[in-house]
Amino acid sequence: MCALPAAAQQDTAANRAKLSQPAPANPRQTGNNTFQFALTNGMQVLVIPDHRAPVATQMVWFRVGAVDDPPGISGLAHFFEHMMFRGTKQVPDDGFSLMIAKNGGETNAFTNHDYTAFYEQIAKDRLPLAMKLEADRLANLDLSDSHVGPERDVVLEERRMRVENEPQALMGEQMRAALHLSHPYGRPVIGWSEEVRRIDRVSAQDFYDHHYAPNNAILVVAGDVTPDEVRKMAQDAYGKVAARELQPRAEFTEPPRMAETRMTITRSDARVPIFNRIYRVPSYAQGRPGQAEGLETYAQWLGGDQTSILYHVLVEQKKLATDAGANYDGDVRDAGEFSVYAVPRPGVSLETLEKAVDQVLSVSALALPRDNDLNRAKTQLVASVTYRRDSQFALASAYGQALTIGLTVDDVNEWPARIRAVNAEAVRKAAQNLSRKEAVTAYLVPGGGK
Amino acid sequence: MKKLLTAIALTLSCGLAPAHAANIQNIDLGKAAQVWFAEDHTVPVIAFNISLPAGSAYDPAGKAGLAAFAGGMMDEGAGGLDSKAFHEALANRAISFSARAERDYLVISISTLKENAPEAMHLLQMALTHPRFDNDALTRVRTQIIQSLQQDQVEPQRVASRGFAREFFGGHAYAHPTTGEISSISSITPQDLRNFARSHWVKNGLKVAVAGDISPSALTKLLAETFLPVSGAAAPSLPNVGRLGSPGVHVIPLPVPQPTAVFGLPGIMRQDPDFIPGYVANYVLGGGGFSARLMQEVREKRGLTYGISTSLTAYNKAAVMQGSVATRANAVRQTVQVVKETLAKFAAEGPTQQELDDAKTYLTGSFPLAFASNGGTAAQLGTFQRQNLDIGYVARRNSLIQAVTLADVKRVSKRLFDPAKLTVVIGGSPAESGRPAPQVPKPPVRPNPAPLPETAANPPAAGVTPPSTPVDKPVTGPVTAPQAAKKP
Repeated sequence: MCALPAAAQQDTAANRAKLSQPAPANPRQTGNNTFQFALTNGMQVLVIPDHRAPVATQMVWFRVGAVDDPPGISGLAHFFEHMMFRGTKQVPDDGFSLMIAKNGGETNAFTNHDYTAFYEQIAKDRLPLAMKLEADRLANLDLSDSHVGPERDVVLEERRMRVENEPQALMGEQMRAALHLSHPYGRPVIGWSEEVRRIDRVSAQDFYDHHYAPNNAILVVAGDVTPDEVRKMAQDAYGKVAARELQPRAEFTEPPRMAETRMTITRSDARVPIFNRIYRVPSYAQGRPGQAEGLETYAQWLGGDQTSILYHVLVEQKKLATDAGANYDGDVRDAGEFSVYAVPRPGVSLETLEKAVDQVLSVSALALPRDNDLNRAKTQLVASVTYRRDSQFALASAYGQALTIGLTVDDVNEWPARIRAVNAEAVRKAAQNLSRKEAVTAYLVPGGGK
Repeated sequence: MKKLLTAIALTLSCGLAPAHAANIQNIDLGKAAQVWFAEDHTVPVIAFNISLPAGSAYDPAGKAGLAAFAGGMMDEGAGGLDSKAFHEALANRAISFSARAERDYLVISISTLKENAPEAMHLLQMALTHPRFDNDALTRVRTQIIQSLQQDQVEPQRVASRGFAREFFGGHAYAHPTTGEISSISSITPQDLRNFARSHWVKNGLKVAVAGDISPSALTKLLAETFLPVSGAAAPSLPNVGRLGSPGVHVIPLPVPQPTAVFGLPGIMRQDPDFIPGYVANYVLGGGGFSARLMQEVREKRGLTYGISTSLTAYNKAAVMQGSVATRANAVRQTVQVVKETLAKFAAEGPTQQELDDAKTYLTGSFPLAFASNGGTAAQLGTFQRQNLDIGYVARRNSLIQAVTLADVKRVSKRLFDPAKLTVVIGGSPAESGRPAPQVPKPPVRPNPAPLPETAANPPAAGVTPPSTPVDKPVTGPVTAPQAAKKP
């Protein structure tokens, strides 16, 4: 899907010229309000018109993320995302951000295990400029030692802020490292600090050369545009960038887990105990038809909000917890995660709390959910799609993420109908399939030592 | 470079007016209340942003956090519905409902599918007029607040923000944390909550911003019915603030790898003609992502932090220019020094003409982004209402920014950015190589930091609120966070 045929992969001037010659295919309507086409250099494009305000959101999603960090240099994909804002020959230093800003736009980026995405929100008439700037840094990034050093320090500060100052984040990092026995989902996206320190100009350049290319990217434009306008603009800007030979993505497997992993993390900077468990479960990309939707609905019913079963039993009925919930993250290429957590009331032990959580989980594997509870969970999931339509950013993100992890526009568009089709039996099945062998359970305990 | 520069020259020309600006209309709800409405039928969603004069500044002595506690109880039962029934009534229709206390106002954000708007407003009416404050729910929410305050005591950003407010606002009602203290939250009784709701959840001074898929006549009828039974008692008033600021560096020790410094200076009131020039000046100094002077000096040149920003905030009775920066323990002294030097240079010289021009194109050009969704539009209109602006301001705003001259910004910068007056509060323990921590005029404030996250004005997220589960989120960057929808 992403690599070009071998013959087209030679990055020669002749090929470049050839590749940028033919016009892209016409935009094809692929949903109620989505249009797709591809440039001849392999860049995929999705357009979502929304004419409420004269603005547009451009996102460029790359099929590269923290799973592609080389061994021993965790955090490189995220660090590299920062470097994309550090200048090209034509637009040096912070020129990219400054030009977007002086044209009234916002820009930022984010990195996850499976993908890296860059975006601009800007007045519609400045979209061609935003595209030219994105295309420029896609082809001509200028990595220099004088930028790499300070940016590495910035990322280490970011890690201190997001992780090292946050006991809950540290707990999550430890849990994932234990959950994914050898899959790189176990490595933090931001990287282990010792490994972040090893990043240098050479590793960054290597990463750029092998992963940043139009044939590894998906362009999503939402806003006050027509598909034909976008086709012309995208061809003008990105069409000139040659396809490149990509480093094939490593395919990781998830070795079987033989037992649950348990950990107790004691931290002086934790003031409130927390029980947390993460199960390794199938994702939307991996699961059988309906399986991920079953897990999604189960998570919402079990612990999606204050009307959920877990909250009701633990917080309201038994008064053992002050908060409790569940979550399913299935929007990934490989294994998804199903998590449950609870915060004890003062005086309640984490052991007691865990038992009570497990009781709820056991009951949900036996008894079918009540109709009105199940319907409420489904109503909320389905409505979230309508709410998402209110935000260009959320809408563009949903499609960009899906396409990057290997799903289709149809998967996104049919999701509400698939959720509506989830029945009580499917929810019970999701509960039955949760296995403690596939889980890491952690207690975060306030205490003296660090 | 050439080609790109041409493109920019071409696009510099205009400051777009937001498409919604023309559509914003007044809905007449009588003299006491103000309703602004942006009609749009693209998406079948309606967003409400409702402000009541019931913020934390109205907390009685010894009851810090009462306004926020009351707001937190708003969806915990009303009329014939207990807490569970109320939550279910919202969730059955996927209505998103939240109330957040700021200093001056309680801000209620509601998003609903169009067909559920009557039920959403009915529930709001019940919450405002017949809150229950049942014991069970109250005990639960109290415990939740206290646990969150306990955790805040070791979060450097929270500790520094609370410390800053305490030092900066002195004895005024803005000095105490919006979320209260553990001791004050522990002392609040059901009667306190009932009294507060009765006297502060009133329609005198009520401000409502609505955006989305409903007709003006249907909205008028709906809101009239909703607020008809809400008390018309006089809105309470606030005392004026005395002297602002407590210059110097105050350290609140914490064993964390990365301390946070919150710093600030007296700001400019919203009705002061210098507010807009001040806002532009602040953008150049610390408000605008990578282009800002502070970002350039502290992050880009020196790699000292992930993010540094400043904002100019005008409350009803006082204004503050406040900033925040987090850095490793052994770089705190250097960072604060760079901040001061940057401020001093900016006060002396002001921005360059180029910086001013760039600031204007950003501030005017990005304005329409705030109106790209119903949720964003309602939040932005609500912000304007809370600043006591008139409905015509939305259309006027960009021309006010365009009119700012270099002389204006230089004058205001001199007035604003005086490093000698800077109040700095550090949450965390600076560890300079062999040097003492920078405790300038005063000894450390209190070894046991009092709590408080400052309620940063986050725009309400449309849609169903996710649980606060400790889940791994994508790592964003390189900028700290997307800009909030709060544009003056």
